Order: sequence, then C-alpha cells, then structure tokens
Amino acid sequence: MTTVDRTELSVALFTTIARARAVEDALAVHIRDHGFAGYWHPGKGQEAAATGAAAALARDDYLFYQGRGVTWPLAKGMGLGPIIGDLLGKATGSTGGKGAGVPHWADASLGIMGEGASLGSVFHIAAGAALSAKMRGTSQVALADFGDGTSARGTFHETLLQASVWRLPLIYFCENNGISVSTRFEDVSPTKTIAERAAAYGVPGEVVDGHDALAVYDAVAKAVERARAGQGPTLIEATVTRVGGHWEGDAQQYRPADFLADYRDPLEIMRSRVDGDLADKIVAEARDEVAAALEEAEAAPYPDPTVILKDVFA
Amino acid sequence: MSVETVPDTAVISYDAAQGAALAEEMRRDPTVFLMGQDVAMGGFFGGGRGLVEEFGLERVRNTGITEAFMVGAAAGAAMTGMRPVVQLGFADFSLIAGDEIFQKLGKWRHMHGGQFELPAVIIMPIGPSGGAGPEHSGSMEMLPMHFPGLKAVVPSNPADAKGLLKAAIRDPNPVLYYPSKQLNFKRGPVPSDPDLVIPLGQAAIARPGTTVSVISYGCMVPRVLEAAQALSAESIDLEVIDLRTLVPLDRDTILASVTKTGRAMIVHEAPRTAGPGAEIAALIQEHCFYALEAPVARLGAVDAPIPASRFLEDLCFPSVTDIVELARRLARA
Ligand SMILES: Cc1ncc(C[n+]2csc(CCOP(=O)(O)OP(=O)(O)O)c2C)c(N)n1
Repeated sequence: MTTVDRTELSVALFTTIARARAVEDALAVHIRDHGFAGYWHPGKGQEAAATGAAAALARDDYLFYQGRGVTWPLAKGMGLGPIIGDLLGKATGSTGGKGAGVPHWADASLGIMGEGASLGSVFHIAAGAALSAKMRGTSQVALADFGDGTSARGTFHETLLQASVWRLPLIYFCENNGISVSTRFEDVSPTKTIAERAAAYGVPGEVVDGHDALAVYDAVAKAVERARAGQGPTLIEATVTRVGGHWEGDAQQYRPADFLADYRDPLEIMRSRVDGDLADKIVAEARDEVAAALEEAEAAPYPDPTVILKDVFA
Repeated sequence: MSVETVPDTAVISYDAAQGAALAEEMRRDPTVFLMGQDVAMGGFFGGGRGLVEEFGLERVRNTGITEAFMVGAAAGAAMTGMRPVVQLGFADFSLIAGDEIFQKLGKWRHMHGGQFELPAVIIMPIGPSGGAGPEHSGSMEMLPMHFPGLKAVVPSNPADAKGLLKAAIRDPNPVLYYPSKQLNFKRGPVPSDPDLVIPLGQAAIARPGTTVSVISYGCMVPRVLEAAQALSAESIDLEVIDLRTLVPLDRDTILASVTKTGRAMIVHEAPRTAGPGAEIAALIQEHCFYALEAPVARLGAVDAPIPASRFLEDLCFPSVTDIVELARRLARA
C-alpha cells in the first residue's frame, strides 16, 4: 500500500465532507424556497462513507454509485458546476441536464460511470467494468455502491458468485443506513450484517464505521490492494445514518423519535482531526463555493429541447 | 451454387455461419469476447465449436445460469472499451435480463448525456424448434422496436446470419441479434471474405415482383419464397422483402415496394397482435394510403403460448398454404 500522510489525508477528507454538507444544506433551503423538478434523496449524515471510499480509488478506477446525496461525484473529482447543473436540470450539468432529478451524474474521464436507477443493476455493470479492466490488462478496479435495501436483490448474489469465481477486481461497497424508504433492515434480512454473507461466496466481508471517513478509507484501500493483486472481490459494509427522510419533504411518520440516538456527525468526527482554524476556513470556503455554484446553475439555461432525441444511438 | 464453382463461398449451416462470424471478428479485434452458458462447448447447436481452442477460456467465457449477470456485465464491459457478445440460449430468457437489456443497454448512453458507447451484442434465438415448449419458443423481436436505444437483427439465411452478426459486432450500439431456431441447421452459400458485412438497416428484395409486396423476415422468408413460387403459376407475382433488421427499419424499401405494387402483406413468426406487422401496417397506411388497392394484411403466430406438443406447435405459425391463400385473396381484391 502506498503510504499516505495522515494529516494531509484528514484535511482532504474533511474538505470533501464539508463541501458535500454545504451542498446538502444549500439544496434543502433551495428546495424549500423554489420547489424542485426531481426526486432528491438527501445524503446528509452519510457523507463520510463515499468520501473515504472514493479517496482510496485512483482517478481511473470505475465508480458506480447509488443515488443518495452528492458526495460520490464530488469525492471522485467532479466540480460543483456540473453536479449542481444536473441537480437543477440545466445544460451545464454533467449529462447536459438530461439526467436531472434523481441525478445521473457521469464523467468517464474521472471514472464516474453513471448510475443505474433500478437499484441493484450496478452490481452487474461494475463487474463487467472490472472484467474489462482485467481483460485489457490494466490495474483498474470497479466499485459498486449500494444500500442495505438493495442487498436483497438477486443481482447481489449473481454477481458476487461469478465475480468471486473469476476473481474480478470488484468492490461491493454497502452504505447500510438501516432503512430502505421506511423498511427496516432487520425486518428483511435474516443475517445481522450484510458483510457476513460474503463468506458464502468465498470473499472477505468487513463491517466498518461509516461515520468515520478515515476508517472507511483504510478498509477500502485494503480491498483495492487485494483487487489489484488479482485476489478478487471484497465486500465492505459501512454503517451510516440517514439523517433525513427518504426524499426531501418525507414526513417520516414511520420513524421512532429516538432514531438519531446513536448518530455521530461525520463532519464533526473529521473536524476533530484537523486544526481548528483550518477547519473553520475550509467550511467557510465550501459554503461560499456552493452558494456561487448554485447561483450560476440557477442562471444557466435549460437544455435545448432537441437533446431529447439525441444520443439514443451512437 | 456449390463450393466447387464459387471458390470464395462455402456451403455451411446458419448456426455455423454465426460461429464463423464470431471467429473472424475475434481474430480481427482483440476486444471482442463471448460470454454465456456452455459457450465453451460451442453452444447448444454447436455453431461455435472451435472458438475455445482458438481463443481460450479468457475470451470464450462460460457463465453460470445468470442471464441478468451476463447482459449487465456486457453493459459494463462495453462502456469500458470491450466488445462483448452474450449468448442467451433462448430469447424467452431475455426477460430475465429485461432490466439489463432495456434499461441499461438501451438507456445508459442517453441518460448520461451521450458520454458512453455500448457496443454489445446479445444473441437470443427465437421461435419454435420442434417441441421446445411455451417458455422456450418465444419470438420477442418486437420489443426493441418499442423500447428505444437497441438495434435488432433477424437473419433469414446463412449468408445474412454471418454478415449481419459481423455488422452487429462492429456497430457502436447495443444490438439484439435474433437467430431463428427453425433455421439453425439450414445450409446455404456463405462468402468467406472476412470483411463482408451486411449493413444494419438495409432490407433485401429476396424476390422482385409486381402483384403483392410481402414483407417478412427470419424463418418466414423461405416460406414466403415457396409461396411465391407456387403462385407464379397463377400469374401472381409476389415481391418478397426480407427486412433483415427491424431496428433500424428500412422504411424506404417497404414504402417504395408498396407504392409500386399497391398491395401489401406482412408475414412473421411473432404473435400477430401488436407484432412487428402491426407497426409496419400502420407505416404503410400512413404513407401509401392512396397507392393501396386493398387493405394491408397480416399473418403471424396465434395469440397463445406455443404448446410443447410438436403436433400442435406446427399449427401455431403461418404455413405456406396460409401465405398462398392470403396473397391470392389480396391479388384478386
Ligand atoms: C429495483 C428497484 N426497486 C425499487 C426502487 C424504488 N426505490 C428507490 S430508493 C429505494 C430504497 C433504497 O433503499 P436502500 O438500498 O437501503 O438505499 P437508501 O435509500 O437507504 O440509500 C427504493 C425502494 C428502485 N429504484 N429500484
């Protein structure tokens, strides 16, 4: 494993979380004030998982994210302009404003390979990308991000079975927030963890504290190393907290009053590892950057209607 | 035509022609690879025999019974620089991989603003094959006509099977390749030129004629040609159009032919209701209404699951007699 300066790494992770949090906070206000053309699934509270995981990937490693929050594209290097552009459905978005609402961000040059919104579909696709990397003889790995609810899909099983046999450089990365819309994980899973299922496929499985970006980084870095060494897939389960509703505006009547009792804010955990003045500066800069990007996106044009019929075929 | 008189053609089966296309394309392009159940033994009908000996198990990849995985993985491999070919044993099982085919292969490029190409080919045999039964005899080739983003090919003879598969592999888009099971062992002359590809979207005039345009594809083409032969004795001269690809559909060839003959019928193996014929009939009606001498007619399979009984199976599909009778009625209308 390449040695990384822990202080520098902590600052980088804190910066990503601060920027993601600033987007989350600004979007909540924006949606309250202006309404919103899409189905926004807030990712507040879960930022550390994507932050730590993406930091352990190289620029050309493949990322297939699930659609909660903005952290994944941000952490993998996408700018705020294209991210917020897509959120508002503007031509400046990474998909030209086509993939807005439940956003489909993508930037192949950053390894951000897009989103399959029928949940569980990215297991297969990520495995295909991993297979392709292996056949082309590169050292790239592919990461498939998913939620606890999605771990019930048959695709979870099919892919892990075949990927294990073929020793694909694939990382299953679960953000287990304990709930899928309103359905509790323990009500739909016979196993206490998702990680323990990995044993059935001859693959290592590990549970990590997903509130702590540094812990997530370490776990994913180990899995990346295994994958690059030709040892096959790893399943990592990051325990996280979905602070908000399933969608912005969800009244959450299904939630008990004390559901946040065990929650620890990932922003505060990382802040404790960064010099106080620097941390304040990072947070302030993130807020300003996001405010400017939001203003820019609001002023940007909607896509030309002709894009609807473009890109059906290459 | 024989092997002796035309040295650059060989008489081979429809299935072997697909195997030849695969071998040639794998030789030409190292990013082409094959995935599927039992592909290492040459596939169910044996057309891919020899591939594993030449290309090894890295490029001829046996999978488990994982239709959704194969197609989904093909999507991932295609968008990252490979050209996967997936062999699904039966088109019926494409529904198991429905999300992967129609939502991933068909939509990924569009929904991400055109950033990706998905050059994948899914081979999925259609139609009956002597008692394969209701869950193994489906003709699903109308689906890509309705779900945008996928091309669709249905070859009617060995030469087309090869040339169209080669075109499908070279195409930058996802292509659903539907061989007809009824034609698997049919033999015919196939050009050996490894660069002979048949462009997607160009129909063939399988037989020029003047009385009725018969639009068909796949395993119904030989039956339509047989009917045309029978009717020529009655001075009914059928023009037979073999569509070869359903997406893109060669509208120009269809419309020019119907404008000329003033009579049209569509014959396919898929169920008649909402089959490809429904779309083609509507197209003709919209564009050739004033040229028509008679209503556009259609023949297709019954609207019922195809029984496993071979005796009943036969009765589900348009026969040469059915085609002759309908064409005769049209010609006299
Ligand atoms: C295949 C599929 N079924 C249902 C849905 C509708 N849906 C969208 S998000 C969601 C919950 C996902 O739960 P989980 O996987 O735990 O992720 P989380 O939302 O908690 O991040 C559901 C059911 C979908 N998008 N795809």
